[in-house]
Amino acid sequence: MAHVVSSLDQPSNYKDSQARLDRQRQSELLDKSTTLYVGNLSFYTTEEQIYEVFTKCTSPDDGGGIKRIIMGLDRNSRTPCGFCFVEYYTHAEALASMRYVSGTKLDERIIRCDLDLGYKEGRQFGRGKSGGQVRDEHRQDYDPGRGGWGAQAQRLEIERRREVEERYADAQDGPGAVASGGGDWKQSESNAPEENKLKRGRSPDDDGDNDAARTATRSRVEEEEAERL
Amino acid sequence: MSYERRGGHYGGRRRQRDDYDDRRHQQQETPDEIIKNAIIKFGEVDANEELLRLEKQIRDHVPRSIPVLSEAFRVSVTEQPYKIPHYATLLRVLHNKSDAPTEDEIPLGRLILEDFWKGFQGYVDKLAWREARLCIHFFAHLTVAKLISADSMLALLQSFTAVLDEFGVSNGRAKKAALCAGEGLLIGGLVLKPHSPTSTNEIINAIQTYTDTTNSQKWLVAPITSLTSESTPLTPPETSIEFLEMLLTTLRKLDESDYVETGDCLPRPYEIYVPFSPDVLRPYDLPLVLVPPEAIEMDALSPITAEGETPVKKDEWPEFFIRLFPSDVSPDFTNPVGYMIRTTILDIVDIFEVNRKECARLLLEYPKWNLPGTFKPKPGSTVTVEPAPGKDWQLESTIIETIISTYLLLPESSRKSIYYISLITEICKLSPSTVGPAVGKSIRRLYSSLSEGLDVEAARKFAEWFSVHMSNFGFQWVWKEWVPDLSLPIQHPRRAFMRRAIEFEIRLAYHDRILKTLPEAMQSPEAYVIPESGPSPFFDYEDPTHPHHDAAQAILNLFRGRAKAEDVITHLDTLRTTLDSSEEEGHVGNVDSLVRSIAVQSLLHIGARSFSHLLNAIERYLPLLRALAGVNSSTSAAASSGTTSSSNPEARMEILSAAAAFWKHNRQMVAIVFDKLMQYQIVDPTDIVSWTFLNGAGVGQLSELGGPMNLSAFEWDLLRAAIDKANGRVVAARRKVMQLRKEADDKRAQDNAAVNHMDVDVEHKPEETPVDDPQLITALKAYSSLIKEQKMALSRTLEGFVESLAPPPTARHPNPQARTVVSESAWESRAAWERDEWNAWETWGWYKQFCRSYAPYLGTYAETLYTVSFARFDGVNDPGADALKRIWNIATGQDA
Repeated sequence: MAHVVSSLDQPSNYKDSQARLDRQRQSELLDKSTTLYVGNLSFYTTEEQIYEVFTKCTSPDDGGGIKRIIMGLDRNSRTPCGFCFVEYYTHAEALASMRYVSGTKLDERIIRCDLDLGYKEGRQFGRGKSGGQVRDEHRQDYDPGRGGWGAQAQRLEIERRREVEERYADAQDGPGAVASGGGDWKQSESNAPEENKLKRGRSPDDDGDNDAARTATRSRVEEEEAERL
Repeated sequence: MSYERRGGHYGGRRRQRDDYDDRRHQQQETPDEIIKNAIIKFGEVDANEELLRLEKQIRDHVPRSIPVLSEAFRVSVTEQPYKIPHYATLLRVLHNKSDAPTEDEIPLGRLILEDFWKGFQGYVDKLAWREARLCIHFFAHLTVAKLISADSMLALLQSFTAVLDEFGVSNGRAKKAALCAGEGLLIGGLVLKPHSPTSTNEIINAIQTYTDTTNSQKWLVAPITSLTSESTPLTPPETSIEFLEMLLTTLRKLDESDYVETGDCLPRPYEIYVPFSPDVLRPYDLPLVLVPPEAIEMDALSPITAEGETPVKKDEWPEFFIRLFPSDVSPDFTNPVGYMIRTTILDIVDIFEVNRKECARLLLEYPKWNLPGTFKPKPGSTVTVEPAPGKDWQLESTIIETIISTYLLLPESSRKSIYYISLITEICKLSPSTVGPAVGKSIRRLYSSLSEGLDVEAARKFAEWFSVHMSNFGFQWVWKEWVPDLSLPIQHPRRAFMRRAIEFEIRLAYHDRILKTLPEAMQSPEAYVIPESGPSPFFDYEDPTHPHHDAAQAILNLFRGRAKAEDVITHLDTLRTTLDSSEEEGHVGNVDSLVRSIAVQSLLHIGARSFSHLLNAIERYLPLLRALAGVNSSTSAAASSGTTSSSNPEARMEILSAAAAFWKHNRQMVAIVFDKLMQYQIVDPTDIVSWTFLNGAGVGQLSELGGPMNLSAFEWDLLRAAIDKANGRVVAARRKVMQLRKEADDKRAQDNAAVNHMDVDVEHKPEETPVDDPQLITALKAYSSLIKEQKMALSRTLEGFVESLAPPPTARHPNPQARTVVSESAWESRAAWERDEWNAWETWGWYKQFCRSYAPYLGTYAETLYTVSFARFDGVNDPGADALKRIWNIATGQDA
């Protein structure tokens, strides 16, 4: 159906300046992507609000659902800084979000979605000098949902929302900081607890074949910037 | 296209930074692409003005490529149905002789038409129904323009009515074939009826005969209906109408005028051209076409489908349209013009699903393709058009009414709900001053129909649309006008709607934000509209005076200190021993439950900050959760069945109860926790189903709403999530098997090729090597386990409904009204209904939704499930059981 109008589910031409992936490879990965980058969030929007909107694009009867949400955090203050990743179980669900949710309002802001190569350790943190997203450092306008004026005035505004500030105070980095959300259904083979222990020792992420495959894909993906502009 | 894909400033900057050659970079168009695009864009400014210029451009285009031209026509016709009359005109002028005609010149238009036909044949072969139907529209116009012979057009339509007579034809297939035939007749009747009135009559009768066989299905999916039998008249046609009924009404009406009135329904710009006389140009005879049988999807899987294959066929139910406006605002169902308008709007909505913004724009531009005077001019429009008598409708209301109709289709709309919701948002954004009022009026109309029998699933979707819409428009709703309804019984559908809409709004925003939008009368806790406080967690052991406060704190501290799961398990064992000896009452069985509750609630407490915190907590303590669920101490039976169902069902119920208690003020979190407990295989879908029927009604409800067994939309959401999970797992497992099969086949083929290549003279028989690799064996085993689980979940749900709606004397909290509300007299006296009656009524509604939305799955297991749940009622006189069985039989196709 691309003859008369263009489809809204096309990825943007975002290309990381540091990424060593060529266009071809990136586009192949995006064609299977189950992850969305979501931008222009209010700093105060919760994961549950995000869940509520994005769950409307799920297809549980097709083996889908929301796998996990990774909130973008200010590197220094560990507070939300206005972006997140939403990971589904299927590619079709990510496409549906591009078509139906991107460009609509969440928490009274128009949010923007983009297909993403997938979460990689460290990407949950902002890469701006102040710790937040780069775009907030260049911003000239007053944006109450994103800490008011650009970088300087943020502090005052954030004081007002101690709850939000504290929510992610315990956020970890390094391997295993982010949960996998649960993998494919697996036969409980005599429930060998030994095997489970072993798995947990490695990473919470390799629950299920699907995840293992995804991790492998990920390691092939060259290093890239932690967040988008 | 004028459409800008992304919002201004972000995109701009990124584009500058991007020094790569973008893969979607505008490429130089080839001459063929230029002519194709010119055809596709035909009429965007003014079709009449452009016609002759475009004709010349097409004729002058060299080198001439008929396939390119006909493809452009196919794209145009199947993707821009509103322009079909103009494409018929374009093809008509292309039938004129060229400037320098040769003796035996075949008109260019004819060459294009012949090639176009091949494309149509392709759509039919693929059973691409919408494309085939729109091509038929095109052919019908060409028949009226005398470019296609009436005989061959009738034959084409008859090959579609023939589908209706097929033995065991599916409802979905019959419905689509009927639309193809009926709409072809509608457009072409002016020529077809005079040619053969018998044939056109036969087409109408064939459609009538078919729809007469679907009366009970219609009853089951009517948007506004009573619970009583389908023999009572359906809702009056002024409120809602079934699609094929509307088609038949239209055809009958047009037939009376020998289809002359069709000229009032759609433009025929080609009419100004005098038809060719047959000795100059014989009309084209469409070749015969046969609609191929439906593809059976089982082929690739046949070996593993020994039991329980579930070919999921949706779109099998009759479709209804509802009326929200009076006839002077939007056309009524008996008006043939209305049929054309509604179906065109539906086609636009369906075709442009990939781009809701473009879709919204095209919808608002629709009047330009219809006859002048059909719709009121835009406010402030400078062009004055004489309103056509009996028309002059309001475009925005007509569009919204049609979108709402298709959104509220039962058991489900063909696209995801959120598509229609976002589409309405876009339309509002394009023209707030005209669309806003139409949306407001639609909401009021639907709201008032809540007490007239609006189906419970339609009501749930209404609340969903309402909340998302409000979230996009600043939560501005005049709640005040519904304040008088606070005097209705607490479970009255209108009050249930208010509560539900508010709950959904809070999920999208936050409690204080929504509270602020309500009038004082609705803010008070006694109004039961909005909870007193936000949806925060409720930790039973928080209170320092609670007898188990200290025990819970100790566990919390272990979690906080990231103690190993095994250490927590050891600690719980100790705690169990301590409690055992200290419990004065000596409830031995309760100590296990108590420990389970403390542990689960403490874990959720750790994970209460956010969805991610929940996932981290669960993942870190999976072994603990498994131990609490009794999965670790499982028997060999549990291991071999692959599901947790034979281990410790009570333990799993208690885990669910602890979670529901912890999140009793936040039902969204209850659903999320349940979903992830299924995902991590702590509980099975069947556990959720059982739990919901036992405890669901008590979760997060204001105490007023408790009482006897009932299901509301929230409990239905839990059930649906569980059943969908079970179904989704089967789908995923089947995919896996298919994939492994294919890999094995490919590998075998490769090996064979290699063997043959080496010219080894060993006789080779590929069939003799059924190398079932261990992965495939595992996958097949998983598949069969999951099939069992699916059947179990469905069976448990059915059983739950049966026990709620035809409760046995031994039932725990039977609803005394479960059986009484199904009678017609009861419905008539609904003004006097109280909580229990409305509760029972809603539960019946969810039973209907269960049967119709899972019909394809239920049908697979119909016999077993019937025996398990209904056999006990054989020969028993029980109005509840009779109603249950009737609905069941319609859904599983056993009533015909």
